[in-house]
Amino acid sequence: MPESLSLTSELVWPLALAIAWVAGEFGHRWTGLPRISIYGLVGFVLANAQAGLLPNSSSMELLANIAFGLILFELGYRINLRWLRTNPWLGVASLSEALLTFAAVLYVAQAFGMQLIPSLLLASLAMASSPAAILRVVNEEHSSGQVTERILHLSAFNCVLAVLTFKLIVGLWVFHTTGDIWHALWNSLIFLMVSVALGGLFGVAVPGLLSRLNNTERDATVVFAIAVIILVALTHTLMFSPVLATLAFGLIARHRRIALSQAEKNFGTLGNLLTVLLFVFMTSTLEWPMVAAGAGLALVLVIVRFAVKTLSVTAFSHVSGITWRKGFLTGMALTPLSAFVILLLEQTRHLDIGLIDELAALAAITLFLEVVGPIVTHWALVLAKEVHNTEKH
Amino acid sequence: MALEPFKSSASLTMGVELELQLVNLSDLDLTAASPDMLHLLRRAKFPGNVTPEVTESMIEINTDVHTSHTEMLAQLQLIRDTLLRAGDTLNVGICGGGTHPFQHWADRKIFAKPRFREVSAIYGYLIKQFTVFGQHIHIGCSSGDEALFLLHALNRYVPHFIALSASSPYFQGVDTLFNSARLNSVFAFPLSGRAPFLLRWEEFEHRYFAKMEHTGIVKSMKDFYWDIRPKPEYGTIELRVCDTPLTVERAAALSAYLQALCRYLLERNEPEPAEDDYLVYNYNRFQACRFGLDGTLVHPKSHETLLLREDILTTLRHLEPHAAALGSQAALEHLYAVIYEGSDASFLRTQYADSGSLEGIVDAALERFRAPAR
Repeated sequence: MPESLSLTSELVWPLALAIAWVAGEFGHRWTGLPRISIYGLVGFVLANAQAGLLPNSSSMELLANIAFGLILFELGYRINLRWLRTNPWLGVASLSEALLTFAAVLYVAQAFGMQLIPSLLLASLAMASSPAAILRVVNEEHSSGQVTERILHLSAFNCVLAVLTFKLIVGLWVFHTTGDIWHALWNSLIFLMVSVALGGLFGVAVPGLLSRLNNTERDATVVFAIAVIILVALTHTLMFSPVLATLAFGLIARHRRIALSQAEKNFGTLGNLLTVLLFVFMTSTLEWPMVAAGAGLALVLVIVRFAVKTLSVTAFSHVSGITWRKGFLTGMALTPLSAFVILLLEQTRHLDIGLIDELAALAAITLFLEVVGPIVTHWALVLAKEVHNTEKH
Repeated sequence: MALEPFKSSASLTMGVELELQLVNLSDLDLTAASPDMLHLLRRAKFPGNVTPEVTESMIEINTDVHTSHTEMLAQLQLIRDTLLRAGDTLNVGICGGGTHPFQHWADRKIFAKPRFREVSAIYGYLIKQFTVFGQHIHIGCSSGDEALFLLHALNRYVPHFIALSASSPYFQGVDTLFNSARLNSVFAFPLSGRAPFLLRWEEFEHRYFAKMEHTGIVKSMKDFYWDIRPKPEYGTIELRVCDTPLTVERAAALSAYLQALCRYLLERNEPEPAEDDYLVYNYNRFQACRFGLDGTLVHPKSHETLLLREDILTTLRHLEPHAAALGSQAALEHLYAVIYEGSDASFLRTQYADSGSLEGIVDAALERFRAPAR
């Protein structure tokens, strides 16, 4: 009965969003947990594999990509590349936390007997801190200060590093298995370059358009949102990286500074709505048996990743101008890992590498950090006293 | 706690305090960066002094006591460069300007210090709306009587300082049509305005301060938000009407202008100040806030109407011998240029016209603070 199936799938997603939103509001009020943690839990519980409710749906995947694209655009817009020049220690901290995470995760995965290619891919994915979770927590808490600024920058940098490494490894793997250098290059270097170039093109064109329209203050949000949606749809269809493209879009748009008008934080209501969808979607792709199978390795990896990130960021805190304490909290706040990984993996599905099934540990890490990561970030910001608590005054 | 005795200091010495804006370089809104900035600045010796202000997106600096404009300017430039270096390390923008053009007061965060929490509890939203940035200039006085004389003799010149420093045309996202909208925020406080007309320190202490203290309204001089107030513990009077200019160069020039003016007033060649001078005081002050250099004044003694711009030019010419004696001709030159080229407020309005956005104004202010046009 295919017709009733499609009917339920059309109905079930909106209902799941409503449930997640309500659970998020009440859960946040009662427990103080970040809303996105609760959305993630709801998504996992309702998922096809568990409650059998949320069917996999390619249109949902596209919407999730758009949601993520909006977040990455905003993140890109908040990144100041000049900071790397005025404070090179930030760059050193970024490189060392990302590369050391890669090395440590690779080592542990190998020690657990995982094969080389999956270990390499796992290690590259573990480098990234979920920009979606971090930006969401930052916006929800209205936090500002060095920990806030630094986690935004570090997560953007380690995301880019993760995509680069991931794609290079995929390229190597393709070359290794097929011996086809062109195919390999297409899946790594060209993929990366075209994605960034597309984003860059938008970054130049859209602000240019905006400044032509003059009275930009009111329209910027809508214009940028539409541009992000087009860019995501384009890269998604052409199988390039929406992640890199939207991040590059935000980055270039900011540094071109043609139109200085600011889009609403989070893309306002649109952003709020799509965030619910994004976090429900993420965990709805996970299956309990895989999570259970990977749980042991996952736990070790989560601890190792946390330790490496925290220590390497802390090590460069004093020299980069903040207290040891804030350095520690910055490293700690980089814990989340989620949205990013799933979307990247969904993409490699098209490559029929079939990696997803080998990465049971990743499913477990994702679920765990999807829920716990935002909580850690939240507490890091609270302990750094960077949270703006409006109720207090 | 009775008012402390007026500590005598060398006449015509000067000191400057500047409240500066801490700006997020991504969205160009104010950002609560002062705890991190203070941490970093305290690691090395600071040329002068740096302190937190009531909300975390402000930082206050003050200079040492100076006798010459050259020293003052050199120290302010050194302070600026130190601040900019710290700001670069932390990705925080620093600029002048009496208001931030579009910050929303409800987003501000009160700095964690008991006094700030206390005033925040008393004044509520006023204190967050008070996220405005001023320049305070101290002039040393040899006695309390001299301080009160200068304080009142200066009443007619207060509009000069408002118009020359005006840099707050935009407030909460709109063009207020004022040149100094900042002072409107200050007037909202119950103890703002002018000091009572008393010329003897003894009278001020016993007939005014002691009585006010007895009412329970005030505990110290800090509770008065007057345009000019005596500061007995420093032995100074403090002029508080200036917006923080967009550059430290202008801040130094304004301070030298006040110094030269005080030197002139202490010669006592002008008619003595009188209570009736204040009949026109609020009107003149409004004119300066609203229209800046284009305002008109009513002379407190002759009641004739003067163009503010003309009155400043006349005063500048008058002060030239005093500036020569104090070595601050360069400061007067700077202010002549302001009269001809327009104030910071008109610079900011031009920036808005050019960039089409309030963010563009902040961007221009950041750049100007770092590299002044002249």
